[in-house]
Amino acid sequence: MTLVSSAPLFIAQERGYYREEGLDAELVFFRAAQPVAVAVAAGEADFGVTAFTAGFFNLAGQGALKVIGAQSREEPGFDFSAYLASNAAFANGLTGPEKLPGRSLAITQHGSSFHIMAGLLARKLGVETKTIRMVPLETLQNMQAALKTGQVDAAILPGHIATELDRAGEAELIGWVHEWTPYALGGLFTSTRNVERRRGVVEAFVRAYQKGARDYHAVMNKRDAGGKRIFEADAEPVIAIIAKYTQATPEAIKAGAPYIDPEGRLDVGNVYEQVALLKEEKLVDASVDPARFIDLSFISGHFNLPR
Amino acid sequence: MSAREVRLRARGFAPRRLPGAGAVTAVCVFAAWEAVCRAGLVSPFALPAPSRVLAVLAEMALSGELLAHLRASLGRLAGGWAIGMLCGVLAGLAIGVSSLARSVGLPLVSALFPVPKIALLPLLILWLGIGEAPKLATIALGTFFPVALSTASGVDQIPRSLIRMAQSFDLPNRAIVLKVILPGALPGIFAGARISSSIALVLLTAAEMIGAEYGIGALVLQAGHLMRADRLLAGVVLLSVLGVAIGAGLGALERRLLAWR
Repeated sequence: MTLVSSAPLFIAQERGYYREEGLDAELVFFRAAQPVAVAVAAGEADFGVTAFTAGFFNLAGQGALKVIGAQSREEPGFDFSAYLASNAAFANGLTGPEKLPGRSLAITQHGSSFHIMAGLLARKLGVETKTIRMVPLETLQNMQAALKTGQVDAAILPGHIATELDRAGEAELIGWVHEWTPYALGGLFTSTRNVERRRGVVEAFVRAYQKGARDYHAVMNKRDAGGKRIFEADAEPVIAIIAKYTQATPEAIKAGAPYIDPEGRLDVGNVYEQVALLKEEKLVDASVDPARFIDLSFISGHFNLPR
Repeated sequence: MSAREVRLRARGFAPRRLPGAGAVTAVCVFAAWEAVCRAGLVSPFALPAPSRVLAVLAEMALSGELLAHLRASLGRLAGGWAIGMLCGVLAGLAIGVSSLARSVGLPLVSALFPVPKIALLPLLILWLGIGEAPKLATIALGTFFPVALSTASGVDQIPRSLIRMAQSFDLPNRAIVLKVILPGALPGIFAGARISSSIALVLLTAAEMIGAEYGIGALVLQAGHLMRADRLLAGVVLLSVLGVAIGAGLGALERRLLAWR
């Protein structure tokens, strides 16, 4: 997908990192997350970067995919996804994410990233996920429409949309996801076949991806002394590359830029937790085992390794 | 001069119903599908065998989930379709008999028919919320236009002489509409009903994008997101069965009401 989260892929392509590794990479874009995983599982693409969802875990659990690195993550201090309350619910006491249990929350679909974020929040608050009443509305547009009219009490939305709604007085921004549940948004993955038979190619690809991620990290993950996110002049070339692929304006890219780990290291324990919470709700099949679809051997220094 | 027998050439094309042909086709399709899966030509994850899909349907039937989906969807289909049919038939009759309605209505219908109803979902949420109303409205909107158009063309196809005769007998306009135009337009109305019933089934999935916990459309959407091909196909089978059942029901009704043809 042409999202800023995929920036290391774009940077590696534009700066010739794949070529340096002897790879002739072609980027293929999909409009949604699931087809990316399906294409890699079916062998039509070799590598993929996408958000974690119940559908992704179900597919990966079948054994055809291996997660080998991280996409982006919710990192403390880096605004990315925000909790919003409708004006009515805010007036009625929904002033912070800790008050979400018992309220309705707009999501795209059961098992989506939004569902995972709500589930992680519920776990942190020590309540069952289903105490947050999730309302599937399929698209971000529908979620915004339902939030603005108070049809739902709350929604989790990308930061740039959230700040816009808050500024326009159409909803209240009541917190950032990174303040509550820092988490692994997605992964870099390849097919099990590639890991088994073309290990050299996978290693070369990971090196190129890491170079792209380091370039991104060096200029896009900066904060000033007060902890505020800043983009200096040296970010311009990277923003130009991202703009070329996403067709977004520089302002939109800055507003929607996630934190990307410079080495592509994954918060492994958090992925286990995501799978566990989705299994509890029967959205991920009981047979799915994260230990079997995560391959930690390509990148060193992964975080939070389960024992 | 000897008489030469002339074979009747003008037999026309008269398609008949071949009894059992539909069932045989269905059995062949399912058998081929099962064979492909059993032979291991495709991964069960990409295309589960029909036996697996049936097993999923059976599980859902036993747990009561199936009934909940069917009940939710049938209610939406019946409600939305009835609203769309009623409004469509009334609009079509008006377009068929009144110059004003025709001049205003036809361009309006032509302008609004092609609007993709899914694109309107955010607006429908703003106007009607996320309860049953926007779901009924989505289906009704999709049903209305084809029914209005085919009702209007059904009226147009009534022989003018019939209407003129009724007028010569000095029947009041109301009686002409009820006794001549409405029955005369029935073939057109039925054509509209058939097309719109399929459109209603297609739009059911769009309608159930909005906050639906149960419903066949919601089942299909969720299964797609969860990469559960078996549940997704179970939903598709349910939609097809509904389509066939509604088609058969309409066919029976049509044969009854149009026996005079």
